[in-house]
Amino acid sequence: MFQFFNKCLKSTSLAVLLFLSAVGYSQDLDTTQDPSGPRRIAGIDLSRGVLFEVSPHTGMMGSSGLFGLRLSMNYSTLNLEIAGEQVIGKTANLYPISVNLNLNLATRGRIIPYGSVGAGLWLTVPTNTIGDKTVTTLGMNFGIGARYYVTRVFGFRIEGKQYITTVTNDRELKDELLFFQEFSVGVTFIFR
Amino acid sequence: MRLLIATVLIALIEVAIVPNDAAAQARYQSSISLSGGSYAASGFGTNGYVGAAYNYLFGGGKYFVEGGLGFGSLKSDVLEQVSKSQIFDNDRLFTYEFLVGIDANPGGPLPYFVAGVAGVNQGGQSRFAGVIGLGKRIPIPGFLGSNQIGFRFDVHDQIYSQTINNGSPFVTHNILATLGLNLFF
Repeated sequence: MFQFFNKCLKSTSLAVLLFLSAVGYSQDLDTTQDPSGPRRIAGIDLSRGVLFEVSPHTGMMGSSGLFGLRLSMNYSTLNLEIAGEQVIGKTANLYPISVNLNLNLATRGRIIPYGSVGAGLWLTVPTNTIGDKTVTTLGMNFGIGARYYVTRVFGFRIEGKQYITTVTNDRELKDELLFFQEFSVGVTFIFR
Repeated sequence: MRLLIATVLIALIEVAIVPNDAAAQARYQSSISLSGGSYAASGFGTNGYVGAAYNYLFGGGKYFVEGGLGFGSLKSDVLEQVSKSQIFDNDRLFTYEFLVGIDANPGGPLPYFVAGVAGVNQGGQSRFAGVIGLGKRIPIPGFLGSNQIGFRFDVHDQIYSQTINNGSPFVTHNILATLGLNLFF
């Protein structure tokens, strides 16, 4: 039990540091001076109302390729996101479905870095084995990422995440803690 | 194979003789397309393929990202009639691609080049593939009273590692060649 809490503490310490470091953080505004009108901000301004984003992405989890889709709602520094992915393995496909809370470390500009923490379901679906059933487990994740807005409605997104889940070992009759690392790149479309 | 060669030849003739207008690509930010053609699966043969794609254009139409999906078949006369065997649970093929592309010559005869990744579902088994390819979008100004409609052709190579019946893995090249209608908006 102590080892379990120790591992969780080490794994979540990075997420806590990200949240603490966001206090008072600001990014320099990249402004375009228009002498005839108000100052315009290149990139995006997340503090002006609610923005919705649709973000298809691809990447790798361990040595397996993945595809996914994130639907998110931005309000200033907070971003609430639902994510679903397909991780294509050799003997099974993994479908992590999670709800994540992202903290935008800046609210204006072209580059918006963020920290993320979330939890959800992991569905492991065997593909070419006989008799195996779909296994569903709970998992949590945390990570960091950045969005680069090419225009006010389109941008690119990059993210790294650490996933933690447990699986029951039937032979040894105990739960094992599993760690997966994911790296993804994708695009993001913004709607108001 | 003959269907694949015919598709590519028709596409090249189309690029050479049909006048096109680069202004359509530069003016619009998105396009959707419906395409049909052939899918040559390594070791299985060539079958028909239909697909749809969405493109987001930026940089004046010189750069774009594309998401597409398509349906085809892995039917093989050799496997069915000669060896009487079946590799997968069924013959259905489903692919989805995420690509980035560069079109250095939107108004001219040179094609654009794409690269990205794809998911290839063969008879219920999924594979993660890399994709390289080329193609061309050809707007047809004034077609049906609109400047938004055009043709497109694409040739993609889906590359992935294949393992059959627990044998040694080998690299597979599946060639996808399509012609289609494109709507800019």
